[in-house]
Amino acid sequence: MTSSSDATLSYSDEQGNATWTRYVREISVAAAYLLLLSILALFTPRYFQAKFAASWVDMAPVLVAAVGMTLVILARHIDISIGSQFAICGVVAGLLARNGLPMPAVALCTIACGAAMGAVNGIFVALMGLPSIVVTLATMVILRESLRWGRQGAFVQDLPRGFQWFGQSQFTGQVSLVATALIILALFAWAMRWLAAGRSVYAVGSDQEAARLAGVRPKRVVFNVFMLMGALTGLAALLGAVRFPNVDPNVGQGLELNVIAAVVVGGVAISGGRGTLVGTLIGVALLGTIGSALVFLDPHHPGERSLGAWERAIQGLIILVAVASDGLGRRKS
Amino acid sequence: MSTLDISPIALPAPRQGRPLVQPQQLILAALLAFEIAIFSLIGSRFLTWDNFFQVQRLNVELGLLALALTPVIVSGGIDLSVGSLMGLSAVLFGMMWRDREMSPWLAGAVTIGVGGLAGLLNATLITRLRIPPLIVTLGSFSLFRGIAEGLTGGYDNFTNFPKSFLFLGQGNIGPMPAQIPILLIAAAGFWVLLHRAAIGRALCAIGFSPEGARHAGIPVERRIGLVYVLSGLMSALAAVIYVSRVGQAKADAGTGYELLAITAVVLGGTSIFGGRGSIIGTLMGLFAIAILQNGLRLADLRPELAGILTGTLLLVAIGLDWRPSSRAMVAQAGAPGSAAEEFDMKNSQVAAICAVILAAALIVVGGNFMLVKSIQQGGGGASFSGTNGSGGGRGPAAGKKVTIAMMPKSMGNAYFIAAQKGAQDAAKELGVELLWDGPTDTDPAKQNEIVDTWITRGGIDVIAVAVENRDGIASALRKARDKGIKVVTYDADTTPDARDFFVNQATPEGIGYTLMDSAAKSMGGKGEFAIITASLTASNMNEWRKNIEARLKEKYPDIKLVDTRPCDDKQDKAFSETNTLLSKYPDVKLIMAICSPAVPGAAEAVKQAGRKDVHVVGLGLPNQNKAYVHEGITDAVILWNTMDLGYLTVLASDALAKGALKPGDASLPGGRIGKIEIKGDNILLGTPFIFNKDNIDKFDF
Amino acid sequence: MSALLKLTGIFKSFAGVQALKGVSFELMPGEVHAIVGENGAGKSTLIKVITGAHQPDAGTLIVNGAVIEKNDPTIARSLGIAVIYQQPALFPDLTVAENIALRLERGGPWRTINWAERRTRARQLLDRVGANVSVDAMVRDLSMPQQQLVEIASALGGQAKILILDEPTASLSDREVDNLFRVIRELRAQGVGMIYISHRLEELPQIADRVTVLRDGSYVGTRKIGEVDRAEMIRLMVGRSLEAVFPKIAVPLGEVVLETIGLGCNASGVCEVSLHVRAGEILGLAGLVGAGRTELARILFGLTPADDGQILLKGQPVTVNNPSRAVQLGIAYVPEDRRRHGVVLEMPVDANTTLAILRRIAAGGLINFTKERQIATTFVQRLGVKTPSISAPVGNLSGGNQQKVALARWLAAEPIVIILDEPTQGVDVGAKAEIHRLMGELAKSGLAIIMISSELPEVLGMSDRIAVMHGGRIVGELARAQATQEKVLELALGHTAEVEV
Repeated sequence: MTSSSDATLSYSDEQGNATWTRYVREISVAAAYLLLLSILALFTPRYFQAKFAASWVDMAPVLVAAVGMTLVILARHIDISIGSQFAICGVVAGLLARNGLPMPAVALCTIACGAAMGAVNGIFVALMGLPSIVVTLATMVILRESLRWGRQGAFVQDLPRGFQWFGQSQFTGQVSLVATALIILALFAWAMRWLAAGRSVYAVGSDQEAARLAGVRPKRVVFNVFMLMGALTGLAALLGAVRFPNVDPNVGQGLELNVIAAVVVGGVAISGGRGTLVGTLIGVALLGTIGSALVFLDPHHPGERSLGAWERAIQGLIILVAVASDGLGRRKS
Repeated sequence: MSTLDISPIALPAPRQGRPLVQPQQLILAALLAFEIAIFSLIGSRFLTWDNFFQVQRLNVELGLLALALTPVIVSGGIDLSVGSLMGLSAVLFGMMWRDREMSPWLAGAVTIGVGGLAGLLNATLITRLRIPPLIVTLGSFSLFRGIAEGLTGGYDNFTNFPKSFLFLGQGNIGPMPAQIPILLIAAAGFWVLLHRAAIGRALCAIGFSPEGARHAGIPVERRIGLVYVLSGLMSALAAVIYVSRVGQAKADAGTGYELLAITAVVLGGTSIFGGRGSIIGTLMGLFAIAILQNGLRLADLRPELAGILTGTLLLVAIGLDWRPSSRAMVAQAGAPGSAAEEFDMKNSQVAAICAVILAAALIVVGGNFMLVKSIQQGGGGASFSGTNGSGGGRGPAAGKKVTIAMMPKSMGNAYFIAAQKGAQDAAKELGVELLWDGPTDTDPAKQNEIVDTWITRGGIDVIAVAVENRDGIASALRKARDKGIKVVTYDADTTPDARDFFVNQATPEGIGYTLMDSAAKSMGGKGEFAIITASLTASNMNEWRKNIEARLKEKYPDIKLVDTRPCDDKQDKAFSETNTLLSKYPDVKLIMAICSPAVPGAAEAVKQAGRKDVHVVGLGLPNQNKAYVHEGITDAVILWNTMDLGYLTVLASDALAKGALKPGDASLPGGRIGKIEIKGDNILLGTPFIFNKDNIDKFDF
Repeated sequence: MSALLKLTGIFKSFAGVQALKGVSFELMPGEVHAIVGENGAGKSTLIKVITGAHQPDAGTLIVNGAVIEKNDPTIARSLGIAVIYQQPALFPDLTVAENIALRLERGGPWRTINWAERRTRARQLLDRVGANVSVDAMVRDLSMPQQQLVEIASALGGQAKILILDEPTASLSDREVDNLFRVIRELRAQGVGMIYISHRLEELPQIADRVTVLRDGSYVGTRKIGEVDRAEMIRLMVGRSLEAVFPKIAVPLGEVVLETIGLGCNASGVCEVSLHVRAGEILGLAGLVGAGRTELARILFGLTPADDGQILLKGQPVTVNNPSRAVQLGIAYVPEDRRRHGVVLEMPVDANTTLAILRRIAAGGLINFTKERQIATTFVQRLGVKTPSISAPVGNLSGGNQQKVALARWLAAEPIVIILDEPTQGVDVGAKAEIHRLMGELAKSGLAIIMISSELPEVLGMSDRIAVMHGGRIVGELARAQATQEKVLELALGHTAEVEV
């Protein structure tokens, strides 16, 4: 045997582990989430009766947006304009509903509105080849300021009763919100693994030129990914908006960074091509639970500084620990 | 040999290696000239030294961040944590000065050191663990701000710094603001570092190709580490200057600065992929943004336009600049041809789309300009952003029309929209010109900037401000008074020496007590309740909370406040926080929401939880809460009549300008509101109003 | 028999530069048709026209008798055209199986994926080219030759009628080359037409049927392989006859400059390497790809510091734990992957030349631009770098000139020992001779040179002494006089008994 085949041989031995070592991040973040849940179970079991389900309702819109962001990051891009898109889509949904459009039509139009905004990003990024971080930075500002100009911060009020049909206080409404988000996630997770279209996103994110040579059309893929991101943001905005009888135009500020953080914690590589939607789900769950968990774990005494004030610091710490453990692992191997 | 011919031509004596300005900077310079030309045409007093320096003063902190970010981006990295680090540094600075009783200068030095350490943390994670900078600094973006919030519990803040320290941010050296030399020194330093020093050359190489640089024997990790440490140092320095300018240190300092600074850097022609970059470009990018904001204000155009145009500029700039850099070719492993071919096609597309964008932007600007003109001609002096009454000739006897500039805490807030409505009514009645402008973003120091712009603009008789930052804005308002402009505050007050009168809609005691009393009434005098506030840093709400708690202690021994949670002024967050509170504290009987989006949010959460036993009271607008009041979820919404507040403010301002209102007066004819009582220098709107089932339908705002 | 592929009068230009000037080409079924030419002769561009990566400005492309009006990678693939690129165009984050599948599978975006089938087929194809690579491995974890084998495997799987091989042997060991040639012969027997591009002219008689020569984007001629010899081919390529001998000058050897004693590094699989090189000496480092030669060079340059043994520089023990330390000590390394490591493509010639001596041209930390120009100009002239200006980006230069800039950088650093890793790989014939001449001069000036090369004639022709590596160890040393291709190969292959496997 020659040396080169020795090298490959030793390689094949490692492959046995590789299948699960590839999902180390998903597993460890899931472990962290479970740890958090068991701490809650131990100290404040009330959490599960009262807040656990509700926290998933809060996470539903974030989760839907995170699905889109996962796609964008897998394709080696980034979209920081989704917070502004989210607000605009919410307002659009509200305005359409107030003008008497039936809810299914409102939903479709909202998603289309998001897709249109995503398509604008797509044109700049995919067709003109401009760097996505700068393009979406620009569209973020433009969209947010346009909305401010148009709405002056006024709530969209006097919505028809039907507007809340999904988020209505009944138990089923809440379940349907979470279910919608989870179905979207499952659908995309399946497509990303089992559909050629999904694999082409990985291919483009991994190496754009190689993808082109393999007959994938990178521009089209990237454009579609941005449009999907927009459409999913529209859906997320809808899921967020239908919980209330009026629409707040100031929502969504900072959403982009929260979503990116969740996606990154879930193990999606910012350099594209690596990561799974399952990881994203766990990332969203972990970061989305911290806030309410802190309130529950806080042995609060009035007048004292509450543990809740540290929420953001702990989220930052989680991001850093998650990526640092990744880096440490890489250094060892 | 062609190579032989090169040297004599290429070596004209002591010229430096690269051209000073690159094509993109030329484009930017043209844009700057264009901006300046437009604004000196349509803005008032735009082209004055005073205004120039004013713009610079406000730009120093952002400028320091942008300067520090330029080498970071040149090295192929990014630092999102600079704004958050400003917040952390400001808090640390305040703590050291107040709690450790250090001199401000020592505290400043230590703060800058800590900033360097924070930069080192980023640097270590990036270079040792090889984590992409975007992610590391996204994490530290949360971490630094989070620590600042945690340390102060969000609401602690530090003021009353000594005059000598405040000079740094507020004083002048000759005609020049005192902090300008710092920016100039920093700019020179970074220019040398990036364009003249071996380190800068190494950074370019690293930005283009880290592996290539490593193979050339460049200590890549050390160089990259250096730029992040520098960025940390600059953030802390910016924080110290910021505290000195605003006169207050709080956890929210520098919010949103990171994206602004990145915008300036990229606009200046630094490639976001690394390798290419220019300090001069960054400075020009910075000025382009600043001049845009300042010019639009002076031209009485909508402030939202600044953001829209900045974004557009950014797109145009990168669109024009985006050449088929060899980077793309390398990355794509193909022969140079393959990428070039695609880009050939693209350049024409880029040019076309850019032209369309630019044309659209010009149409918007031009359209507004024409609109202003036509309104001014037809309506007799209305301004665009003023949306005021065009009372025509019914001015005061003196023939000169009174101009009142009125500022809300933030634009796009329903509360102030109502106030604006009232103010417009008054302006119409009195025939005064009303300017209405305020911050559109989350930057807490923005109000100062607008006041300064108004001073520069000239022609303003009274400035009326709803103060966000009590001590922070005082210096700007004092300056306005020095220039002979009368100052009125409304909604929230500044320090008494910085204004003539305060239109007091209700005292914090009044609000706190009323809230607590109606809460107690709803709860039947006993039980638990929780508070939802806007943010833990909002000073007026902290004032109210203090009074709520005082009233609680004094009168209601059987009632217990279990927790206070922030909702970031967002309805959905208020919903979620209420939900958390209700489940964590099952015995809570009442939610008190003390910012306006929180009231419907809390009510919706209670409604969806099906908790008929929980009540909501809060400070809010009647329209948003009518449904909940009728459903019996929200017992009481407490507020003064916001429209009246705007109305009264204009009324008082007008009277003040005409000399009808003088210190010592005990009352003021209040137009449609009736006679208004004045106590000292507080013009009292009256006691807070309680909206409930019986009366809420009578109001529409 | 009609031609599988016929190109006539193909023109193509990029940004005003004429890359192809009326090239014609023909490929018959069951033929291996070599294309040779110096770098920049238009070989790669021609291939990209065939594969649809580029659209020609003029000319016709006929596949199987049908004129192809519009071509793109997808269409070309459906016509049965497959390519093995010189630099593998693989997806680093995807598995080997998926990489192969992406090349082969056709169909719309909505088709579902059969992972089991993907893996089975990948296994079969890899076995066929004799690659022992796991189908589930991530490509980013594979070595360069392994990636090349994956590339070949994926090109084979497509049942291609036209197979294009662009320098497929550049990074392969001889055994792998043999394997590849076996596969090529099989395919030829099946009637597949193959276009074979290589700088290794000596390979061609073994494998090619005809050879077409390009020069400066123009068609020069097509010959049967038996009718041309190496010298003739070179004459056609360069348009002039070239002395194809290696200009090794005998130089009196000086003291030992660099010596290693039991050097090893676990991470890169190098162990117990003891060697030395004297001033004025060229030490050839031979071995198969993966034998640990580049890894050894990386240890000596501090890129992957040693964890065992000693490095002595002029008799003094030194620690080289990073490249900047190596530069200080006077060790220079011209890496194999010139585009990624050797030069910074986006930076101009002068900045590239002085990148390793920033310390010297920057007194007090500030760059002396006049000095920089002087140094750059000196070396541009001395090495004969063809560049429009010293401030032109290196990326705009041809491969050979890029390599000269990479060399210039290290000569400017005035090292005492220089390691050249495949200094002439992918470099055209003319530039190759110039680089060889330069090496001779450097040795004469007293520099100690370690040359890593996979090209045996080069190793034999240029070296004073040859050290052969196998499995991360030095397995033998041969003096110039006693070295023959056979002896070197025997050592490089380890034990002769295993070679046959």
